[in-house]
Amino acid sequence: MTSVMDDTQGSKEPFEVYQRMLRERLQSFLDPLHPMLRSDVARALQETGKLFDITQTGARGSVPAGSWSLLTLLIALHIAPEIDLLHVSSAAIAVECLICALDLLDDVEDGDQTSLIKELGPARVLNVSTALLMLAQRMILSIARPEFPAAHILYLLDAMQELLLVATTGQQRDLLAEQRTVEQMTVEECIGIAAEKAGALMSLACRMGALCAGADDEVCEHYTLLGQLLGIAHQLDNDCHDLYYLLQDESVTQSMGEGVFTISKHSKTDLIRSKKTLPIVLAAESQRAFHSEDSPIENGSYDQKGLQEGIMAGWGISLLYRERARDQLNKIEAQQPVSHALRLLLGFA
Amino acid sequence: MEERQIQEFVHRISNDEALRKELISDPEQVIAREDFSPSVARILMKLVPHLSLGALGALPMSWWFS
Repeated sequence: MTSVMDDTQGSKEPFEVYQRMLRERLQSFLDPLHPMLRSDVARALQETGKLFDITQTGARGSVPAGSWSLLTLLIALHIAPEIDLLHVSSAAIAVECLICALDLLDDVEDGDQTSLIKELGPARVLNVSTALLMLAQRMILSIARPEFPAAHILYLLDAMQELLLVATTGQQRDLLAEQRTVEQMTVEECIGIAAEKAGALMSLACRMGALCAGADDEVCEHYTLLGQLLGIAHQLDNDCHDLYYLLQDESVTQSMGEGVFTISKHSKTDLIRSKKTLPIVLAAESQRAFHSEDSPIENGSYDQKGLQEGIMAGWGISLLYRERARDQLNKIEAQQPVSHALRLLLGFA
Repeated sequence: MEERQIQEFVHRISNDEALRKELISDPEQVIAREDFSPSVARILMKLVPHLSLGALGALPMSWWFS
């Protein structure tokens, strides 16, 4: 594989060269699959934001296609610019496949009617998820080379499994929270679930990059923490935006939880399923502060004002985690400034 | 805990008309007297345009997890 210029500052398409390289590498792992499986796997990887989503290549103002694999790749290139591109791109596409597999599982678990689920049906989507999980293992194992000790492969697999188990635990807590009332949830629990789910996944993408580059434990921890803080920030931001867009829709009634909940086509099933996201828990806490024992909150019903307050406070807390991530990036950059492309990808350009 | 500070400040602004008016006229002063950490103060200044409206303006777009 040819070398890649890391200095993309000023480029109109700062990620394109990396995306092309990652796509080639990913395709090489898909080619040996049976055509009946390969087409479905490739289709899943063409979903919005995934590596084969060519509509988002180099797109400005939105997350670039293959952002998860790009994160692993760019961190590795930052730490070790002369790194073997073949092996780092294998680790990067393993992350891409893992995230895609978990997204598919999440969609099925949440009952989301995504375009892919409508097209393939849940059974085939689950099978594609299994294939992606297996492919990710093969991609890591493919790194084995005389110059790359077997112990390093085990470190990569260990990090992958450890952080995936954390993310799976977060998913389990999230699913179980659906059976609880919003009054039983705390702000700290919401943030904890975000840390385990999104935090662990972004930690994984960052840590894999650092491990691939042969970084020592301290440097790996710096990147793991950066990923965790960014993951929490983005998950909370996403929860606030979901509720925000829902409130913008005129068809939404003001009753949530047990009550009637009219939903527009744009709304997310997370909200239909009474997911106790941070802005909803904040809204409930706000309203509890205003309701006396004589006039308790009725059946989990919230007024527009309370929900707006929940969104504002939740968004503020997401910005707090973003600030903490920026502080963490500053610590990393005290050693060596990161590339323009990595800064852009992290959202700090 | 900084998370709680943000939550409580947003709650107070949302429910205190006089404080909201003061925030509109002099946001720096209102936030400065609360003795927040620099990062919390910066975040609250970003929220001011929305808080002072008493309603949600357009939230800036998110980046990941869209």
